[in-house]
Amino acid sequence: MNNFTEILKSINSFLPELSVITTLLLCLIADIIIRKKSPIVTIIAIAGLLVSAYFVYMQSAVQESLFSGMLVIDPFAVFFKYLFILSSIIILIFFEFSNEIKESTHKNEYSYLILSLVLGAFLMASSVNLLMMYLSLELASLTSYILAGYSKSEKKSSESSMKYLIYGAASSGIMLYGMSLLYGFTGSLDIYEISRYLATNPTPNAFIYLTMIMIAAGLGYKTSSVPFHFWTPDVYEGSPTPVTAFLAVTSSAAGFSLITRLFLTTFLGSTQIVDGAFSIIAGIHWQEIIIVISVASMIVGNFVAIWQKSLKRLLGYSSIAQGGYMLAGLVVADTIGLTAMLIYLSAYLFMNLGAFFVTILIVNKLGTDDIEQMKGLGYRLPFVGVAMAVFMLALSGIPATVGFIGKFYLVTALMKPGAGYLWFAIVLMLNSVVSLFFYLKVVKSMFLERADNTDELPGIKFSVQSYIILILLLIPTIFFGLYFGPIVKLAESSAVLFGIR
Amino acid sequence: MVELNYYLGLSSILFAIGVIGVLVRRNAIIIFMSIELMFNSINLSLISFSSFLGDVTGQILVFFIIAVAAAEAAIGLAIIIALFRNKGTVNIDEINILKW
Amino acid sequence: MFSDYGQIFVFMLVAIAFVLVAFISAIILSPRKPNISKDATYECGEDTVGDTWLRFNFRFYVVALIFIIFDVEIIFLFPWAVVFKELGMFAFLEMVVFLFILILGFVYAWAKGDLVWDKPSPIIPKLDRQIFKAD
Repeated sequence: MNNFTEILKSINSFLPELSVITTLLLCLIADIIIRKKSPIVTIIAIAGLLVSAYFVYMQSAVQESLFSGMLVIDPFAVFFKYLFILSSIIILIFFEFSNEIKESTHKNEYSYLILSLVLGAFLMASSVNLLMMYLSLELASLTSYILAGYSKSEKKSSESSMKYLIYGAASSGIMLYGMSLLYGFTGSLDIYEISRYLATNPTPNAFIYLTMIMIAAGLGYKTSSVPFHFWTPDVYEGSPTPVTAFLAVTSSAAGFSLITRLFLTTFLGSTQIVDGAFSIIAGIHWQEIIIVISVASMIVGNFVAIWQKSLKRLLGYSSIAQGGYMLAGLVVADTIGLTAMLIYLSAYLFMNLGAFFVTILIVNKLGTDDIEQMKGLGYRLPFVGVAMAVFMLALSGIPATVGFIGKFYLVTALMKPGAGYLWFAIVLMLNSVVSLFFYLKVVKSMFLERADNTDELPGIKFSVQSYIILILLLIPTIFFGLYFGPIVKLAESSAVLFGIR
Repeated sequence: MVELNYYLGLSSILFAIGVIGVLVRRNAIIIFMSIELMFNSINLSLISFSSFLGDVTGQILVFFIIAVAAAEAAIGLAIIIALFRNKGTVNIDEINILKW
Repeated sequence: MFSDYGQIFVFMLVAIAFVLVAFISAIILSPRKPNISKDATYECGEDTVGDTWLRFNFRFYVVALIFIIFDVEIIFLFPWAVVFKELGMFAFLEMVVFLFILILGFVYAWAKGDLVWDKPSPIIPKLDRQIFKAD
């Protein structure tokens, strides 16, 4: 009977997820009843997410283990839940704007698909058991396959979802094989148990590398890190733009939450934090795996992006590179690095969503995302063009934007004396310089190059609502770049993992 | 009593066949079958570990893997049908609008 | 005498030997007088029609997909059913919630019309011109 009281107690702390599930079912029922495109379903979804945000807020300072050690609530998970809720609400609004979605035969299905991905992301952020990690990862992945193929009659869309599916299924298979080896070796699926086993029993490094690289294949695919990134550009180009934005922000943030918790908890020597640094089991050099993935992501992402002609594809490679930056925060394995990662993630949310919103607006009007076609576009839609320039500069990390704050904290974390990551910090900064090149290419095409007949083409107007959304995304991008106290404070208080103090 | 190593050997061979199938085959449906083979080899290794360790959690994971693999197969086939309607082929080599 | 798997091995050997003996004795003993109708696929005078690789109506796939999902989810009912009596009411309610969500999925597929089998609506040829007019 003891189990039941625990389950009942856990359900009490499971309210954010439960409200998402309820909203999901409500949306589904509403869609069956209404049977045509209607904003009601989206409104239900947003309302449900707000309710869930309230419950998340109630858990701000809680540290608790749920469902016999399947999930935990800690400030780290709460931070990510905020991130997921905020980004998915913005994306739900994006869906209302995109013409690509309006032409689709499915009317309201995206709202509950998004909700189920948010549910998967919630569970990913708080799972501490390999079983739960796999389940939540698959919940998020399966939903994103469907979303990628949302425009069912578009060749590009179904092709991208096909590629996504094959890469995703194969890499989650590889991840599971790694998990099964880890389970066989340590005799447990609970990552705290695994950590205890690894700390007390000498483990051959080769085994750790093998299993961790296999597990990193599944997680790295979610965060689109090199060498598991091959799906990223194709899926980003082929899927409808709001879906691309969703995959780039929410889905990859969920991947980062999982990868961070897994690596920091599994290799914990003791649960004590000394001088802000997590104590890692001596003799296990897991950081090397992350360093290779991170550096490769930065270099491949930034250098291949230079040759891109499609804006969505460019943003795809850019998010591979940004993922590489964020993994740098994990390598340091201390609270400063973790804080820097969280700051970067929140910065990334605003600037990337902004860039994607401009892309949605442009694709709506031009019908293409070819950068060549955008020559002189800055003069036809001045405000949107300037906004795009701001987002692009923010993504490359120019001071006075929120992107700079993220990079600044990452570099500071890497330059911690004695850690020996100075070269890594230099690589990161050099990569930012390279990234400036292709981010500015978009701006250059919009403002400095002129199409032959720019002067004859009329200016392009957008609806008032789209300007409002754009301004709402611009404000945090610039405001938090100048006044970054709140973000930093939130991230600092959130860099707390369950069971580690 | 059959040793654990034999089960693990069989499971790793099946897994390797699955991976090679994914890499070599050109038909999307056969690639999908190879992925299912990978999942089943993982199930085998989990069950043998679980019975060897006398710990039931591995078998629970197998239950979930089977269920998720079914959902994945359903979604995969649905996507393959959508692709086939659009392009008239399920050959991976001809699915090449998006590159570089 | 044998371990458990040894018995299976002996059984396997006997099975293989049985099949081989049957085949080889057939090859040795049977008279061989081939002719056209004997070489035909079904050896019964019926010619095969068309390609073996024919396309099925994709409706079959849709129904099969829906079937797969609901079929496999039953896997969670088995362990539950085994210990159902010991777990009592709470586990029953949990399973009701699970089945409710599952059935909602089924209702969704139903409401979206995925279970409707498109009946062929053949166009019956009609003649505009009546050949044999009354007058």
